[in-house]
Amino acid sequence: MSVAIPEGARVVFGRPELLVDRTSSYCPGCGHGVVHRLIAEVLGDLGLGPRTIAVAPVGCAVFAYDYLGLDFVEAPHGRAPAVATGIRRVRPDAFVLTYQGDGDLAAIGTGEIVHAAARGELLTAVFVNNGIFGMTGGQMAPTTLLGQRTTSTPRGREATFHGYPIPMTEMLAVLPGVAYAARGSVADAASIGRTKQYLRRACEVQLEGRGFAIVEVISNCPVGWGMTPLESIERLKEVVALEYRPGVIVDRTREPAVSGAPGGAIPADGTATAAAER
Amino acid sequence: MTTQQTPAPSDAQRTAPPGPRHHGRRVLMKGNEAMAEAAIRAGCDAYFGYPITPQAELLEWMARRMPEEGRPFVQAESELGAINMALGAAATGARVLVSSSSPGISLMAEAMSYMAASEVPVVLINVMRGGPGLGSIGPSQSDYFQATKGHGHGDYRVPVLAPSSISEAMALTADAFELAERYRTPVMILTDGILGQAMEPVELTFREPPRVPAEWALTGAAGRPPRVVRSLHLKPEDLEAHNRHLQAKFAAIADREVRHDGESLDDADLVIVAYGTAARVARTAIARAREAGLRAGLFRPITLWPFPSDALRDLAGRVRGLLVVELSAGQMVEDVRLAVEGRVPVAFTGRTGGMVPAPREVVAALRHLWATTAEQPRETTR
Amino acid sequence: MIVVAESALDDLSLGGAADSAGAGRAASAPFQPVLIDVDRCKGCALCVAACPKGILALDESRVNVQGYHPVRITNPDACTSDAHCARVCPDCVFTILARPRPPR
Repeated sequence: MSVAIPEGARVVFGRPELLVDRTSSYCPGCGHGVVHRLIAEVLGDLGLGPRTIAVAPVGCAVFAYDYLGLDFVEAPHGRAPAVATGIRRVRPDAFVLTYQGDGDLAAIGTGEIVHAAARGELLTAVFVNNGIFGMTGGQMAPTTLLGQRTTSTPRGREATFHGYPIPMTEMLAVLPGVAYAARGSVADAASIGRTKQYLRRACEVQLEGRGFAIVEVISNCPVGWGMTPLESIERLKEVVALEYRPGVIVDRTREPAVSGAPGGAIPADGTATAAAER
Repeated sequence: MTTQQTPAPSDAQRTAPPGPRHHGRRVLMKGNEAMAEAAIRAGCDAYFGYPITPQAELLEWMARRMPEEGRPFVQAESELGAINMALGAAATGARVLVSSSSPGISLMAEAMSYMAASEVPVVLINVMRGGPGLGSIGPSQSDYFQATKGHGHGDYRVPVLAPSSISEAMALTADAFELAERYRTPVMILTDGILGQAMEPVELTFREPPRVPAEWALTGAAGRPPRVVRSLHLKPEDLEAHNRHLQAKFAAIADREVRHDGESLDDADLVIVAYGTAARVARTAIARAREAGLRAGLFRPITLWPFPSDALRDLAGRVRGLLVVELSAGQMVEDVRLAVEGRVPVAFTGRTGGMVPAPREVVAALRHLWATTAEQPRETTR
Repeated sequence: MIVVAESALDDLSLGGAADSAGAGRAASAPFQPVLIDVDRCKGCALCVAACPKGILALDESRVNVQGYHPVRITNPDACTSDAHCARVCPDCVFTILARPRPPR
């Protein structure tokens, strides 16, 4: 790093230790950089770095393992929740985190995320939703909005031909195994601050053994959207956030535990019983 | 029934297996269950599976026994889920088993490529059924190509072990974990519906291979630099170097781990080449052929990859013809032909769809081979 | 791509762009609340829009090793160390220091 901090200065904000000190390959203005940093901050604050085994997706964020100083396994496209389940079941002491984009989680990976959530797996899932397949050049994703132009919807997404965008996190939130589901945004400093809080809560939920936790972060893809970074942030605020609304979608940790209610810890015998009472 | 009680032999299948003091006792066991128990006693840390005929009993045995041992069992949402769970668990250094049957194995192709490329050890049992497609639930050997020719995409090989009895399946299960960890590779045990479903007397002798320290495994980066288990190497130079490394490993496996068996080969004029259940049919056919004056023998590959090409080529110089018998339209026969390099005629007989070749069909094929081959000059003297 | 040596630009930048030469002058120089890792910057300008004081701008007179116009702080005295820039930056370009409290 080529900045020198003067002696005795009080650092209000700096690069978190778990964020590797190197230039990322992400495009200028890409929200992945912010989400990576938030993860590094939260895991650092909670002291989870040495315990974390993280799962990287296929997509732009396949390189997450180059930028976060954590043990990582690269999952096949969409399979991160299953890979994470395997890790979680054999390493009860590990902290297990998945990082997926919208193509990874909501297209090819719908089966794996639904069932990990249904099992109430003690995982923290980070879902970066920029409504496009970035890595492969900007094709339509399940979360692409109606009317949005992409390289595979050159005339704009139409419900008749391409179906409707999928509200994955709302769908998952229905499942009792989901202890916490929230949606954040990287649109501005305030949103980023709230997103960090959601991520922190999602990590705590795993530590408390409450069940599956997911934080969706709506993000921008300037190159894929055909915009400047600033334009893409404006679109994020004015268009995307109206369809994928930030906020806490479900927090079952604040409900009293009742029969059939979720959030049970996985019993020591390893069987999946998402509805086990604490 | 608890593990401390002595089960009557006929109840052995339904009860928890006897504990260590009954080590060596012979009981009747179903193949699927015997392989499952062998895996547990071999130190299997976790099992991931999905129901599919004809291996559901393996999953069910694990569902009951793994929690008894305090080890994870997961019935996944699909075979896709199961194999990816296995990938994750094995990436942390755990000893992992997955089982399925042909259509489910197809779903695992992607993960097999990833596991081979990332060098993650997993043992996978395929209890083959009739195919292609949904096929039938009868036994087959029609996944030979799938098992030995990579199965998934990219340049890689996977050791494939083919037992032909339940006892052998139990022993090979332990060997498979050992091979997988020694070479950091997925290993497949290729069986079929007959082996999975049949019950045979087996000796309750188990082996737990010692653990190989896994300095690559993900355990949380405490006090050491972070580790990454990956298969992406974007720079062509890097990926080529990685491929060379993998190929060197496969060459080492091919050099050291070939296994095969033979019966009645010393004076054989014709040799049947068969594995698994086909080898058992062949055995009966050989006995009948010999009664009728035809000197036949059996060459039984146990590793289908690495294929026992050298031994087969040597054998080819000493016999009049080879007859390959498979429960398929002919898959291993291609490797036999490659191995013998044209030295000797190679014939084939087989059945598909869940049908099993009958010994009389094999004997007829032997006779036909005899009739259509000439006396071959021997390359080596007896 | 134009690569401009850091030290050659000390005269051009109005402050906030710290480098190894700058560190040596830190003791006698005015307080810099915002340290910028110039070579990390991708010129996305999200920070420029995020700064409530409007005191960030892309320095179009230079390019960094990546070929982008890096950000610079135009008026360090007006900075309150709120770190909005740092929070929206995807590349951890900023290190924000608190302004030293005036002596009593």
